[in-house]
Amino acid sequence: MTVTTQDKAALRQARSLLSASRPPWRQMAPGVLFGILSGLSAVLLLGSSAYLITRAAEQPPILYLGLLVVGVRAFALSRGFFRYLERLSTHDAAFRALSEVRVDAFSRLEPLAPVKLGPRRRGDLLTRVVRDVDGLTDLPTRVIQPLASSATVVVATLAAVAWFSPAVALTLAALLVVTLLLGTVATEAMTVRAERRTAQLRGALADEVVDLVAELDVLIAYDAVDAQLSRVQEVDARLRREALLGARGAGLVAALLAGGLGAAVLGALLLGIPVLQPAVLMGPEMTLGFAEVDPAVLATLALIPLAVFELAASVPLAWSARRRVLTHARRIAEIAPEPERSEKAPVGQKGRSSAPEDLALELHDFTVHWPDAPSAVSLPVSVRLAPGENLLVTGPSGAGKSALALGLTGFLAYEGRYRTAGGAADALSPEQLRSQVCLIEQDAHIFDSTLRANLALAHPRGPEEAGDEELEELLRAVGLWDWAQSQHGLDTPVGMFGSLISGGQAQRIAVARGLLSGAGVLILDEPTAHVDEQMAQQLLEELLGAAGGRRSVVLMTHTQVPSRLYSQSLRIEPAPRSEGPAAG
Amino acid sequence: MKPLDPRLLRYAAASRSFLVVAALLGLAQVALVIAFSWLLASILARAAAWAGILGEQPGLGDAALLPELVPALLGLAMVVLGRAALAWAMESVAARAAVKVKSQLRLGSARALAEGVAAGQGDAPSRGSAHAVTVLGAGLDALDPYFSRYLPQLVLTALAIPLHLSVLATQDLTTAVIVALTLPLIPLFMVLIGYTTRTAQQRQWRRLDHLSRTYLDLVEGLATLKVFNRQHHQRKNLRELSEAQRHGTMKVLRVSFLSGFVLDLAASLSVALVAVSVGIRLIDGQMDLAVGLFVLLIVPEAYAPLRQVGTNYHAAAEGVAAAEDVFEILDAAPARGEAVEVPDAGIGENRIAGPRDLVISRLRVERGGVAVFEGLDLAAPASELTVLAGPSGIGKSTLFAAILGFLDFRGTILLPAQDAGGTTAQLSGAGRRELIAWSGQRHGLRSGTILENILMDHGGDGARVRGRTLGSSAGSQQLAREALSDVGITATDPQLSLDRHLGVRGAGLSGGQAHRVAIARALVRARSQDSPVLLLDEPSAALDDAAEARLIRTLKSEAAAGRTVVVISHRRAFREAADRVIDLATTSSEVRA
Repeated sequence: MTVTTQDKAALRQARSLLSASRPPWRQMAPGVLFGILSGLSAVLLLGSSAYLITRAAEQPPILYLGLLVVGVRAFALSRGFFRYLERLSTHDAAFRALSEVRVDAFSRLEPLAPVKLGPRRRGDLLTRVVRDVDGLTDLPTRVIQPLASSATVVVATLAAVAWFSPAVALTLAALLVVTLLLGTVATEAMTVRAERRTAQLRGALADEVVDLVAELDVLIAYDAVDAQLSRVQEVDARLRREALLGARGAGLVAALLAGGLGAAVLGALLLGIPVLQPAVLMGPEMTLGFAEVDPAVLATLALIPLAVFELAASVPLAWSARRRVLTHARRIAEIAPEPERSEKAPVGQKGRSSAPEDLALELHDFTVHWPDAPSAVSLPVSVRLAPGENLLVTGPSGAGKSALALGLTGFLAYEGRYRTAGGAADALSPEQLRSQVCLIEQDAHIFDSTLRANLALAHPRGPEEAGDEELEELLRAVGLWDWAQSQHGLDTPVGMFGSLISGGQAQRIAVARGLLSGAGVLILDEPTAHVDEQMAQQLLEELLGAAGGRRSVVLMTHTQVPSRLYSQSLRIEPAPRSEGPAAG
Repeated sequence: MKPLDPRLLRYAAASRSFLVVAALLGLAQVALVIAFSWLLASILARAAAWAGILGEQPGLGDAALLPELVPALLGLAMVVLGRAALAWAMESVAARAAVKVKSQLRLGSARALAEGVAAGQGDAPSRGSAHAVTVLGAGLDALDPYFSRYLPQLVLTALAIPLHLSVLATQDLTTAVIVALTLPLIPLFMVLIGYTTRTAQQRQWRRLDHLSRTYLDLVEGLATLKVFNRQHHQRKNLRELSEAQRHGTMKVLRVSFLSGFVLDLAASLSVALVAVSVGIRLIDGQMDLAVGLFVLLIVPEAYAPLRQVGTNYHAAAEGVAAAEDVFEILDAAPARGEAVEVPDAGIGENRIAGPRDLVISRLRVERGGVAVFEGLDLAAPASELTVLAGPSGIGKSTLFAAILGFLDFRGTILLPAQDAGGTTAQLSGAGRRELIAWSGQRHGLRSGTILENILMDHGGDGARVRGRTLGSSAGSQQLAREALSDVGITATDPQLSLDRHLGVRGAGLSGGQAHRVAIARALVRARSQDSPVLLLDEPSAALDDAAEARLIRTLKSEAAAGRTVVVISHRRAFREAADRVIDLATTSSEVRA
């Protein structure tokens, strides 16, 4: 496998995302510290118990064992106590980081909308963003904390063992290294490919599930449920095979740990028994020198691996968790690379002063490009619109009406000259441009909330500024008031993706948002597609009436519009050999 | 939380065989642990005894202890190998079971969802597609740790505790009593803690689901947010949501981690109690060192599986909560056999193609507790183009859903065969669907080529549709091409070639293009199956005038061929071309000459 520069870039992106999801050390420190204390307690509990029992068998005076007895009890208490604290503090740190990661991922996706986010596969997006972002919480809890804590405890234990028997310590260290190396590196080689493929297959499976669940009625009406189920089944079977391949690693690690533990116990016995000395008598003048092994030391050395390997078992788990976290981060980075800080405060001309009083919109040789497309979508257009004047834009479907709408609102790059009441458009930030030229999308998103929230978001000074009276007035203007009153008024829920309202109602909500936005120019992209013909006329008249005064409307449509509703019209023609994704 | 939901065993057969195998492996594991502890304890005791002799007879230094212990050490090595093999076997068995159970639940619940919609439960609010996708996808993956880490330990707990306890009793009754007294405390605390956190944990899972839904909603609506410059404010919103989630989760964790704490504490305290009591009896010479060490080694093993259960309690609870969502779907599925077809007197394989009227009487349909129709009477005769009109929200699409059997209704919807003298039994929803070709308000395209979308997986060579072969793939391609040209899509349009591959939910086509493909799909079904009824919901919303005129001509000729063509449309051209216009607002029917 060759590492291309693209791969490297993706990896760099993923790492920067990871560092964002790692809680600051200040927040991680308590968890790691408690983990170390809990691990040390576990080792000391087992060691001191074994030592106590073997010493007791030598039948020394009981008072010499007092300290050991206290130690055994103390370690028993402290192990559970510190473990509890450790789990709480690492989880808290992880959730804190998660909140940042969610926002970070959102910020990464934001610049992609609407042009680059449009054709994204929705099921995949769902699993990616939600699953992968959630998956990043594992970094502090399952990777950093266990690795840092168990490494510290294991090193400290090895140092203590080395004082009694350097040979046993060396053997234990060697076995740990071999076990963990095999358990991490070898299994990584074994599972890494399987895991990458399971991640992809999971996305594919989610897609098939979306195709199944989202339009069940269509599948049923066409007797295609079984066919779609078998597609789900097929992806599921492939996922199952890959998941099993990936799981081989876990089995290997378990076997290695059990074997390594046994080998360490055997090693301690084989090395300790030949140098065994008579028991050192307990007493005030008891001396147990460097590398002296008597029965109590031998028992302790033989039992310590049990505790050490229990700690070491967390390392392969942490390692595979690290790999999973990295995959999550890569997938997020892939769908949404780090945003470039481009939308700066506008420079240059200050607003209206530079524009003539009587201008709403002026285009000169204006064309729009889809990103990465070689040529413009349509032939250049020129038009000048005074405030209050309406423009009708017609053209066959696919001619680029939607692209033009996106270009006018700063979502697509344009060529030619473009001026608004606020001055030359290229002197404005996209946000400023959009506050003057408002796009009313053909398929505006309806948020899973109330009618009020869906309208108020368009208020130029923020949703909280929108008063009920103002919103009710809007509903009247777009012909939704009677319906809303029959429901729960402004508190009427609209459902996920507007599932509780009709397409026509969704379109009216979109129009109402445009009216609320306070923009001087409204771009209406096929506003009457889902509205009946009588209503369409009425709606257009109401809309243009409501817009009134100095507000201008650019109406993109392929249907008939009475000529009294517009003052100018423009027909756009597709540019020859234009290639663009999903031109509306 | 129930440790093991019996519904898991009912809905996923793979979980049953897993429990049996896990139990066998667990038994072997316990046996090897006992053997390991016994061998290790006796080797250490022998070494201590030898060291004692060594102290008294220093001359013994030349004799070696090791040769004497070779059989025991070899035995120990064998046991170690056995333990490694068993550990491997347990992991792979658990992994295998997890993936199998996930598949069984996933497919079972997908099928249950489909049966629910088919049986007219389509309006149930719990079936939001994002929710179902989470439940069937990422949600089920929460079962992985449940199977790989929780269930095997649960099985082991059930086996290891009694076995270890009885072995302890044979060796040292005092220890057995200490363990027997501390052990019941654990389930007691677990039940108490589990009881107090149960609802909190379920609430937590719902909140997580809600958060992911909100997150998706925001991401999907990014374009709209940007239009109104609201995208930056959502970050604050999102941060607050996540913070609220953290507070909630930590509150739950503080309590649910307590169960792990109790387990840890009980296990280590009993080790300490046993070690001290054994130590004191050893000093008094009342006990053998071998027994003392053996007991010390066995006691933590008795608690180990229980502690593992406790450690993985949180992960398992998530798995169980996710499984519960799946069970909810499975439980709600209509019992098999409930949706039995009521055979229509006139229906036979041969008769299906005959013209049929659509007669609706006294129809009452509710949506969200509000009656959409109350006593609606309506008739659309065969061989006519009927247009349904009326303001948006009046329930035109709802009427289609009722005709298709996706909504429960009262009253009758009949499709009497014209030559059967107008008498017919009422068909079930599925029975009516057999006779209908339909295109809805949403296009409902899927991933796959445009051809696959049009043929709905019925198009391959030799594929049979209700006894009628669609014909060779060349034949079905021809059919698809004709239908596309009927909605104004020419064969030369590179965007809409039959082998163009679409993404999930038809991604890659514009709304208008997708809609036209969906109408072509309905035309192909009508023609290939000779469906007597053709229902189209707003077919020309995305068409220009020329394409609309062409579609109207096509539909007129379908009607002339004897089909009952019912179209929901706001467009004047359709009203003018219709044989019959029914305004649902007044239920007035206007028959044109």
